[in-house]
Amino acid sequence: MSNRRAFFAYYLILPSLVLIVLLNLYPLIEGIIVSMQNQNMMRANQTAFVGFKHYDRALFQSIDFWGSLGRTVVWTAGSVAGAYLVGLSLALLLNMQIRGRGFFRALFLIPWVVPEVVTALLWKWCYSDEFGIINFLLARVGLLEKPIPWLSNPDIAMPAVIVVQVWKLYPVMTIVLLAALQNVPNELHEAASIDGAGVWQRLRYVTLPLIRSASVIITMLGAIWTFQNFDIVYLLTGGGPADATQILPTLVYEKAFWALEIGYASALGVLILICLMVMSVLYLLVYRSQAQAEPA
Amino acid sequence: MAKTFNRREALIFGIGGVGVFALTANGANAQDQTELTFWTVRLNTPELQAALLPILAQFEAEHPGIKMVNEPVSGSLVYPKFLTAVRGQLMPDIAEAYSYHPLQFAAIDQMAEMDDIIADWDADGRLADIVNEFAYRKFFWHDHYWGVPYNLDPRAIFYRRDILDAKGIKPPTNWDEFRDAAIACHDPDNGVFGLVFPAGNFHIAQHFYMGFMFQAGGSILDKDGNLVFGTTAREANIQALVYLTDFHTKHHVTPEGIGSYNTDDAHTIFAQGRAAFGMATGRLLGQIKKENPDLVERTGILETLQGPKAKLTAGFYNPMFVWKYSPNVEAAKTFVRWFIQPGRLEPVYDAVPGQHWPIFKSEFNTPRVQQDRLLGEMLQKVIPYTTDFAYPGTGVPEMGVIDGEKLFAAPVNEVVVGTKTPEQAVDDAHKAMAEVFAS
Repeated sequence: MSNRRAFFAYYLILPSLVLIVLLNLYPLIEGIIVSMQNQNMMRANQTAFVGFKHYDRALFQSIDFWGSLGRTVVWTAGSVAGAYLVGLSLALLLNMQIRGRGFFRALFLIPWVVPEVVTALLWKWCYSDEFGIINFLLARVGLLEKPIPWLSNPDIAMPAVIVVQVWKLYPVMTIVLLAALQNVPNELHEAASIDGAGVWQRLRYVTLPLIRSASVIITMLGAIWTFQNFDIVYLLTGGGPADATQILPTLVYEKAFWALEIGYASALGVLILICLMVMSVLYLLVYRSQAQAEPA
Repeated sequence: MAKTFNRREALIFGIGGVGVFALTANGANAQDQTELTFWTVRLNTPELQAALLPILAQFEAEHPGIKMVNEPVSGSLVYPKFLTAVRGQLMPDIAEAYSYHPLQFAAIDQMAEMDDIIADWDADGRLADIVNEFAYRKFFWHDHYWGVPYNLDPRAIFYRRDILDAKGIKPPTNWDEFRDAAIACHDPDNGVFGLVFPAGNFHIAQHFYMGFMFQAGGSILDKDGNLVFGTTAREANIQALVYLTDFHTKHHVTPEGIGSYNTDDAHTIFAQGRAAFGMATGRLLGQIKKENPDLVERTGILETLQGPKAKLTAGFYNPMFVWKYSPNVEAAKTFVRWFIQPGRLEPVYDAVPGQHWPIFKSEFNTPRVQQDRLLGEMLQKVIPYTTDFAYPGTGVPEMGVIDGEKLFAAPVNEVVVGTKTPEQAVDDAHKAMAEVFAS
């Protein structure tokens, strides 16, 4: 009887399984195969097997990959750290008994529901040197004499795009951290207060340890999402100025669809996949250790 | 007595019905009508589609055996779309797209030769009527023509007549005059920049450098299609790069952020009346008419500048091409021959003024042009001097990648934002281009 029930369960998940294989596994295997073929859409012998030639080029011959990987790490770390700090601050505020708390919760979610293309265009306008609202406001209050070229200064462009990703990412951080904060027993804060702990001490020794599990999980997920994000950087800067924001996903797009080097782009894609797998394994390990550490 | 069907019979009839429908709906219909798929990359906006569809209907009326199926393709998705089609062998019978496409697709054995159409044009005088021989020579590679030009996308310098008049400056005609005029007209206190041009890391932004490169006697390729950007043409290309970027780094007459500008940003600054000179595509003309009509009378288009070596500007002759493995190659060529004729695309040119330009000299003096000063200025002062990436030779597939990867946008961007000297930028770009040829 239990076997029949198990078979029935497999039967039910079969359609989803077929779809997952078709939509995920097949392209993945195809991508790995293509990464070992010539696949230069400007040359005739496209399916010629070239082994690890593209990987060798990416890892040992070209500076494209390592430069982009470094920028991707900066982009990911900056975005996740920024979003976590903003998310935590807002979560702490929203966890207090303030009027209109429900309204603010909905308000802070807005960036999360705005499509990425719209987000990029919105911020492109905000950052514009001549007609952007940021320079306009800074000039209005007397902080600027001439416009700041937010997206055309190689030293500022990366922080500028990170701010956009922080804006996009903080709502989900806020929601998850707020849920975690609401599980922190109030009695612990009261006991700490009685023992003479101040606000910062309560935050450091009571709140943060108790939301550590949620913090680790959401920052790991945020890092995975950000590492593979393409739209925001591509639409804001195109990878410029002077490659200052050329991250791995934009590099892959450029190599695949402008340079027509599908084989090389696939190899870069596989390398991104390996990076993401390392992050995912870390995530699972941390998640497991956190789950085991949780009080029963 | 009515017959009733059981479930199995109903299923068989249903599948059979769908099969019959599919067979009759795929172009092999009862009338034996040839169906031609036509992808349009440049003619893909609603306004241009509205102008195009009646032209296609006219073709169908004149050729009852051929049905045209038009599909507009997004310009930003053009490569993913075509590459997927190549891989799946689902290319359109005919397409119109960007300059480089026919040679790139020819390099992977997807293009039909177009030598017969060029020969026909030569015989009937149409070839001699084309503005510039590079319009068709750039599609010549490995002894064959792989595409034919059908319209033009020029790069020009727009200027403010009122500002120049107020300063008592005549429209400049050479490099020295242009530089002096831009400096003289720069008036930041009144919110007017001397010059605006896109210097961002973007595809179209690099085309303005190309014009100055040709004017300095430089080029990317030589007449045999060899890469000379950083070798024999190096000095000229550096001279052009220094001249162009000096407007930002030395003369300081441009907006601060041009290092992130694409063409639209430069267009917007000029259309807002905030620049004395603006480097732009022809599309700016329509944008001014639509967004700031008061500026039309105060705007002029500069005569192509005489550089140290030549009087040329960049212009991109957009091609039509036919898929080699189309089951209807001859019908497709019949359409191409019919479509590319003087006067045929007037509705397209009229739909979005300035965005598309004719390639035949005999189209320069139509009533549409006579009634519009700016159209006339562009046709008289710019179009005759337009030349393309293949100058001074014929095309090579690698140029599509060099343009696509923005390899000659990089030097302008890098110098403007201060990460490289002009010499370093040209040398590094040459290395990157050489890698494309070696790939």
